[in-house]
Amino acid sequence: MTAAVLSVRNLTVAFPTRRGTLTAVDGVSFDIMPGEVLGVVGESGAGKSLTGAAIIGLIEPPGRIAGGEVRLADERIDHLRPEALRRIRGKRIGMVFQDPLTSLNPLFRIGDQLVETITTHTDMSSAQARQRALSLLSEVGIPAPQQRIDNYPHQLSGGMRQRVVLALALAAGPELLIADEPTTALDVSIQAQIIALLRTLCRQRGLAVMLITHDMGMIAEIADRVAVMYAGRIVEIGPLHSVIRSPLHPYTRGLIGSIPTIDSDKDRLVQIPGSMPRLTAIPHGCAFHPRCPRAFAPCPTHRPELKDQAHAQVACWLYHEAPSAT
Amino acid sequence: MSTGPFLQVDNLGCVFDVSRRWLNRVIEGLPRRLLRAAAGVTFSIERRETFALVGESGSGKSTVARMMVGLIAPTTGDVVIDGVSMTDPRQARERRRLRQRIQMVFQDPYASLNPRWRARDIVAEPLRAYGLAGTRQDIDAEVGALLPLVGLDPADGAKYPHEFSGGQRQRIALARALASRPDFVVCDEPTSALDVSVQAQTLNLMRDLQERFGLTYLFISHNLAVVRHMANRIGVMYLGRLVEVADARELFGAPKHPYTRMLLAAVPDLTLSGRARKAVAGEPPSPIDPPAGCAFHPRCPHARDQCRTELPQLAVVQSSQVACHGVAEGWIPASPSGA
Repeated sequence: MTAAVLSVRNLTVAFPTRRGTLTAVDGVSFDIMPGEVLGVVGESGAGKSLTGAAIIGLIEPPGRIAGGEVRLADERIDHLRPEALRRIRGKRIGMVFQDPLTSLNPLFRIGDQLVETITTHTDMSSAQARQRALSLLSEVGIPAPQQRIDNYPHQLSGGMRQRVVLALALAAGPELLIADEPTTALDVSIQAQIIALLRTLCRQRGLAVMLITHDMGMIAEIADRVAVMYAGRIVEIGPLHSVIRSPLHPYTRGLIGSIPTIDSDKDRLVQIPGSMPRLTAIPHGCAFHPRCPRAFAPCPTHRPELKDQAHAQVACWLYHEAPSAT
Repeated sequence: MSTGPFLQVDNLGCVFDVSRRWLNRVIEGLPRRLLRAAAGVTFSIERRETFALVGESGSGKSTVARMMVGLIAPTTGDVVIDGVSMTDPRQARERRRLRQRIQMVFQDPYASLNPRWRARDIVAEPLRAYGLAGTRQDIDAEVGALLPLVGLDPADGAKYPHEFSGGQRQRIALARALASRPDFVVCDEPTSALDVSVQAQTLNLMRDLQERFGLTYLFISHNLAVVRHMANRIGVMYLGRLVEVADARELFGAPKHPYTRMLLAAVPDLTLSGRARKAVAGEPPSPIDPPAGCAFHPRCPHARDQCRTELPQLAVVQSSQVACHGVAEGWIPASPSGA
């Protein structure tokens, strides 16, 4: 476990409010190896985007990292000053967000945005940076980059814009890419293109990728390992095949069963009753127990921790020795 | 009651004028620019059937839906629902009566509910608008019966939309749609703003309601897996035109049009069967300046010269209708190559 590009231990993100502290991310731990894609799935409010934001130090106040540590190539980055963190962000950690229109500056040509990023993080001259920008644009599959480089974002289609955002994220040669719902705003045919591109890039560059998404289909195609989040905690983490084929946690099972597929013809979808708890009212014990079809004695009172089970790790009393009811 | 299909869409077309203003056109010498959002759309829906329109953004599926409920006036063609034309001025009175039997559920439950109204007032609006319930007590009783139908507590009626989650809001939108006892409900991407588990709840609920009230649905989605789950018949749209209309089973089992095959191949595979998702080259062209001939030809692997000049019409191929020269003339193999 020495070579992990990103190592997160017990990360906790809290928001102080007048009615007490809300814990939005609660003791999350995982590693990402070079060339590995970790898919982080969960529904809205599970804390997956916040985990990503915490790693790159982009939690908006009054939210703050209340505990745990984040290591990038064995170097602790969670307590760095904003100044030092800014030099890492963009250079060693690239980011891709959901909406390509809001992550590009509409007033600047895409070439200028790329050149700015490259010159900020490297000691290239702007002429060299422009050459690099051109090669990046062709690497992300933009046809005729010579003509496109002087376009403004609005002149490009959504898929093209997301390619530019990807080029920006890769501009300074990062070790880690955090992609937060990178294809949600795109059409299926374009989604498939972006996913194929992402996969090629991370294979070629040995890039570690943290892919945050609610789309299991995307995870199934590109991730090596999957972490499933619920109410701020990882409830199951393991290799792709194990999580998708033989999910352990009842939440993971429900989540996978509720996805309509084009191959099956079942009449009703599996449905998980109820909805994700609000941060102000996370149930005691296992947060999933009020919705869980298999909840039993220890669930409402004792919180399960992540423990090894088969090929994965799962936080569920079905698999661990339950504490004696006291 | 008339014979024939419950709903018939005939040669429906819609052209939007997106030109600059007249003075600018004269001064700058610009031509008039027209956006053809839909053209020659023809299909029918049987009673209690779910007909789905699928396609990528900009394919005109929402425009067709809006024309069908009368939110946009069609440029050409007509929609006849239960024998009443949506455009014929002589049927204005019948149309007014028909309107309350047509309802719509929109994509974004955050934008489709008035944030200043309580849920019970939102659900009661069709009752008031059509004068379907007399006294306040009647309305309250009706709303009190509608909310449990969609899985909400009658006490939730006193809350405002911001107090509900996205899935619950979509339930309110469904309750509102049901309030006027419709026969026909148009659902424009009803679950694409929802999480998968909430989507499953909502889709199951919509099927239950359809069975219980004998509803006919027009279901619009870009998600083929959702469509497969909901629809009896499916129309695939590309750049404003229907390229394939078929029974759901037929469409998924033996897709014919190259675009349909492409869409199916692009759907992510959850079963890890090793079926590689095929990335499709290119992007949909602009509807302002669509390609000549078959609009799909620049992305089509089978395109020939004929496709670049001649517009294919929907023609019956086996049990489907397909608009493709290659399929009609048999030089594109009818069985899919591993979709």
